[in-house]
Amino acid sequence: MTAALLEVEDLRAGYGSVPVLQGVSFSVAEGETAVMFGLNGAGKSTTVNTIAGLLKTWGGQVRFDGSPLTGLSTTEIVKRGISLSPEGRRVFPQLSVRTNLELGSWTRRSVQKEQMAKVFSYFPRLEERVDQLAGTLSGGEQQMLAIGRALMSKPRLLLIDEASLGLSPKLTQTVFQVVDQINDDGTTVVIVEQNVGVLPYADQALVMQKGTITFDGRGSDLHETGDLRAAYLG
Amino acid sequence: MHVVADTFSPQLHLVTPLISGLADGAAYGLFGLGLVLLYKSNRIFNFAQGEFATVAAIVAFLFDRGVGWVPKVPYFIAITFGVLAAVLVAMATERLVIRPLFHRPRVVLVVATVGVALFLVGVEGLLPYPQTASLRTISDALGVRSYLTQVDGVVVLDQDVAKLIVLAVLAVLAFLFFRYTHTGTAILAVSQDATAARVVGISVERVSMATWAIAGFLGGVAGVLLAVPPSGSVTPGAFTGLTLVVAFSAAVLGGMTSLPGAFVGGILIGLINAFANADHSFVPGLNSLPTSQAEVAVALVLLLVLLVRPRGLLGREA
Ligand SMILES: Nc1ncnc2c1ncn2[C@@H]1O[C@H](COP(=O)(O)OP(=O)(O)OP(=O)(O)O)[C@@H](O)[C@H]1O
Ligand SMILES: [Mg+2]
Repeated sequence: MTAALLEVEDLRAGYGSVPVLQGVSFSVAEGETAVMFGLNGAGKSTTVNTIAGLLKTWGGQVRFDGSPLTGLSTTEIVKRGISLSPEGRRVFPQLSVRTNLELGSWTRRSVQKEQMAKVFSYFPRLEERVDQLAGTLSGGEQQMLAIGRALMSKPRLLLIDEASLGLSPKLTQTVFQVVDQINDDGTTVVIVEQNVGVLPYADQALVMQKGTITFDGRGSDLHETGDLRAAYLG
Repeated sequence: MHVVADTFSPQLHLVTPLISGLADGAAYGLFGLGLVLLYKSNRIFNFAQGEFATVAAIVAFLFDRGVGWVPKVPYFIAITFGVLAAVLVAMATERLVIRPLFHRPRVVLVVATVGVALFLVGVEGLLPYPQTASLRTISDALGVRSYLTQVDGVVVLDQDVAKLIVLAVLAVLAFLFFRYTHTGTAILAVSQDATAARVVGISVERVSMATWAIAGFLGGVAGVLLAVPPSGSVTPGAFTGLTLVVAFSAAVLGGMTSLPGAFVGGILIGLINAFANADHSFVPGLNSLPTSQAEVAVALVLLLVLLVRPRGLLGREA
């Protein structure tokens, strides 16, 4: 196993005065794909949002490539090489596909051209619709755009929150395959999913329950031991 | 202006209202630009926009005249100081009032801007200066005649021409700013989805500050151009009371989110106002109304436009 790119250590965070993450710990090795499962409300989005700097860390810490991210702004975190494709897609609806993508390289304009070409090679559909307003794209196309936009900063770590939500089984497979390809091209990926169809593409599997990690192992182990069933049935 | 004539007179019924309508319309348009900018980016109606203008006018006046301990400086420096003061006040508004309330419902923010306006009117009222005076016009400062040309015997004031030119230039610049600059695009991005903007690494705080600074600049420019004779003054609250409400109608008419719309809406409202006031005995029904017919006409047009096009003339979103 190679060195860990992302190390989450006893992470605590929440909303207002309500704690959600009750000490989350896991690490992801450089070049791997980790998938995180868990029931609705388990704290998966809270975890990736805290890593991306959208939420304040209450306790514990996140280390990226060895250095702690505590207290850094989202701008700084994106610059260091972490990029999030947030839950619910959240594209800029009244801006064109092109402008959405360009905004993705807000912190690193020098890589814009190169990454745009890369995104179009992963998602040719986006290139066909480059001048269309993002809000008029189909749900699946918006999901591609959200992932594409996250790639525009040339991240070392890509966080994807719910890639398959609302997508047809066929498109879900396509998106998973592209994510696999992105990973093959050298980007470390953490993907939050409800769809177990992602497992064949994952090196590492995590299960989150009530704000803590209850399973952390190889993707193949999760399949065999039935831990996943346990996680989902509580 | 209220003129009465028995028969149609091209001068009274056409040229005079056309010229005064364009001039007033330019004023509404200038305010409208600032209002549209903040609506586009923060989804709020900024009731403090009128006082940004007043602050600029007062500060420019103090420096132009050299009131009290304020040193007298050349006119164009004085109005630059005025505009800068409006920018600073707008930035302070963002930092001290808007940002702490940013995650509250929009209506809270709107009420907060009303509070800012009232606060500024109060502070202005405490300042020791001749409050009914007005700022000098550009032609006055340059020592030239107040008008260069007449149309059909009706004087076209230089200051009014200046208002129109500045309005047109600022409207075009604002449009280009949103279309072609990174900061302009970032403002749009934040307005459409602040969380997504943060996700790509845009500093929402910095963008918000920039937006308010620009709104302060637009308000300030309006202030130093409008607080002049014959009808303008540096009186506290003057713009809030007289101009702002009409400017809102102008912005809504143009489509609250469209910068060219603010321009078109402003000019249209100015013209409607002026023509309705010119008392056309040949427009059936209108001359039988009392003197407030101009407001009735404005309200009527606004209502009709919104019924047919709820998003305003040039607005793109509902
Ligand atoms: N903005 C918020 N304010 C208050 N509580 C929140 C907020 N967002 C999430 N929560 C709460 O935090 C808990 C964890 O939510 P989170 O979104 O992290 O879950 P999740 O695992 O991503 O669920 P899902 O699978 O439904 O996306 C939930 O109980 C939720 O109600
Ligand atoms: Mg979630």
